[in-house]
Amino acid sequence: MRTIVRAVPIVEAIHVMAIAVVFGTILVVDLRLLGLRDTKRPYTQVSRELLGWTWGAFVVAAVTGAMMFAANAMTYYENTPFRLKLLAIAAAGLNMLVFHFVTGRNVDDWDTERAAPAGGRVAGALSILIWTAVIVLGRWIGFTKGYDFSIPEDVDFDALGTGVDVLFDFDGAPPN
Amino acid sequence: MIEFAEWLQATPFSEAIQAAGWLVPLLQSIHILMIGVVFVSILMIALRVLELVRMDQGFADVWRRFAPWMWTGVVVMTLTGALLVAAEPVREFTSTSFWIKMLLLAVGIASAVVFRRSLAPLVLAGDTAHEFSPGIKIGAIATVVLWLAIIFLGRAIAYDIEIWGALSLSS
Repeated sequence: MRTIVRAVPIVEAIHVMAIAVVFGTILVVDLRLLGLRDTKRPYTQVSRELLGWTWGAFVVAAVTGAMMFAANAMTYYENTPFRLKLLAIAAAGLNMLVFHFVTGRNVDDWDTERAAPAGGRVAGALSILIWTAVIVLGRWIGFTKGYDFSIPEDVDFDALGTGVDVLFDFDGAPPN
Repeated sequence: MIEFAEWLQATPFSEAIQAAGWLVPLLQSIHILMIGVVFVSILMIALRVLELVRMDQGFADVWRRFAPWMWTGVVVMTLTGALLVAAEPVREFTSTSFWIKMLLLAVGIASAVVFRRSLAPLVLAGDTAHEFSPGIKIGAIATVVLWLAIIFLGRAIAYDIEIWGALSLSS
């Protein structure tokens, strides 16, 4: 993917669109758990109509993320914010599972209550914190990651429409 | 324009933002978090226009639920965005993506304001059964596409030459 110089920016941009939907939809559900918004709508109604969007966007984010990783695997592997970000995503998943199997077990009991029981409120708050951390760590990767400049020999620079010296006129830091 | 950008980049204010190494990443992080808030708020309203979500609520209630988040998010993003431009004015002003993004932003915000104004009678009347015309529904889809384009262009600013080639203002 490194050889197609327009590929990485486009993949990154799609990644940003996807995380916007992931974060935004999760926030709506978490606000309902916390009893801060949509308190007159049942929790299950709020969450079910958004679930598809969250998961669909997460798949797009994961695929674009994997593509970016594949384009420059070693530089990501060695990057601390990247590792922390993967851990944070795992933590978010764990939070979701615990909520689903504990508090979510008897969701019918509290579905129409203004807020979820304590376990649900904790899960909602943790969710917001963790996903905020995921996004901040994601941005931090861009500022700390190295870049592998060993471009394969058959890159067609003429196809870019401008001089290659302009493409590489920075001090070795990746575009951020 | 480029002279103004170079002048701005050399001011103490700009240099102070650049010098605080954590400030630009922090501003960008807030900016990105707000993208989620703003875009999903717009998405929810558009989906309601298209009658795909929240049909148990009148449109006015859906607007009241999400519009404040949209407006607040846009204000925060304008502030963080302005500071980011102040930190790296040359990079922004010589980016084709940046200028197209500003144009689309103006269109997006203006259309939201116009839409809000046309809603006033609806909101006041608490009309829960209102159905939007096919034209407005197409407008809802176009709005979502517009804001996706804005997000795309925002990320593309860092890759202006790769994306635009000879059309980049920095080439």
